Amino acid sequence: MTERLLLLSLFLVGFCGVLANKNIIKKIFGLTLINNAVVILFVLEGARVGQHAPIMEEGIETIVDPIPQALMLTAIVIGVCITALALALAFRLYRNTGTFNIDAIRRKVHDAS
Amino acid sequence: MSNPTSWRVRLQILGACVAVTVVLLPLFLMDNDWPVAGRDYLEARGREDTGAINLVSAIYLGYRAFDTLGETIVLLVAVSGTIGIAARAGGAGLAMGYGASDNSARRSGAGAVRDQKMGDGEIFALPDEKRKTHALRTHLLEVVTGKLGPVVLVFGLYVMLYGHLSPGGGFQGGVVIASGIVFLALGSRADSRTGLNKASTLACIEAAAFLLLILVPLSGMFFVGPNGTRGFFANPIAELDVLPAGFIILLNAVIGLKVGAGIGFMCVAMLGKEEKA
Repeated sequence: MTERLLLLSLFLVGFCGVLANKNIIKKIFGLTLINNAVVILFVLEGARVGQHAPIMEEGIETIVDPIPQALMLTAIVIGVCITALALALAFRLYRNTGTFNIDAIRRKVHDAS
Repeated sequence: MSNPTSWRVRLQILGACVAVTVVLLPLFLMDNDWPVAGRDYLEARGREDTGAINLVSAIYLGYRAFDTLGETIVLLVAVSGTIGIAARAGGAGLAMGYGASDNSARRSGAGAVRDQKMGDGEIFALPDEKRKTHALRTHLLEVVTGKLGPVVLVFGLYVMLYGHLSPGGGFQGGVVIASGIVFLALGSRADSRTGLNKASTLACIEAAAFLLLILVPLSGMFFVGPNGTRGFFANPIAELDVLPAGFIILLNAVIGLKVGAGIGFMCVAMLGKEEKA
């Protein structure tokens, strides 16, 4: 229970980071925090049914569920892709506007249009 | 800070957080038992079906191998998109930040103002040293990363090739290899002989690995596997007694090469190592 509440707070920290920060880079940090919270939640839940890592060597019994781990492998890769693309977009915004501040960017876009 | 607009924004943020909490709390607090049918099936059959001792590898390269192909395609698209966006933003060259080429003499990383001259770039390098000079590089960084790079590469190969036996696999080993490539790029001197930190080489490796990843599963269409199965991503050597996990090792190696080259390519391009076209 405690672990799950901690994960919920980690999720909320990331969510607040996405909402409250003015800096785009910090917003992207928030996105990765959300991603990590979800990944850890799945692995944690899958690990409730066993004690050992899902590596079938001799004498290993009561393994944890390997399915969420394999799914989260996909989620981690997608998370890396999202982070990289978001950082590239932030870099491009920075080159065009000279700032990472979302308010300043919005002002500049508004002035330009 | 105390103007009403700011407070309204804060109230909105608080409201959004509360709403998300209300939506997610049941999900985080649910007390259902975790279904164990899949776990039990994999525990009983996974090793015989795929030959891999590591059941996570057995899933993502055995049972769900086609999904893994899609995953690598997503990674490929993300790398292409990132490079494309960064290249458009940076003009002719790629992201010219850390270690920008000598004639461009501008840097945008580390909070430096755009188009600022290098100026104090020679701080860390003596005149007759073979290192490229720029402000963010120190001897400590060069020595440590240059020496550590090959070790990290070997470790990445280990993680990649033993993914069927131990924790690891293509994606994990690929990311370790990408860190090794970044270390080599950080620690390389001007006369360095390694081609691994050249963006063009990495792009070639990635493309070749992706082609292999398409071609290798095709082999399953020409060999009849266990129970007469045959098709894309079917294991052609599952019936052999020696090394039934060989197919998984091969796929792990190909995926590791592709992921390592792709992410390394992305990092090296973002470091600004790309020579101008």
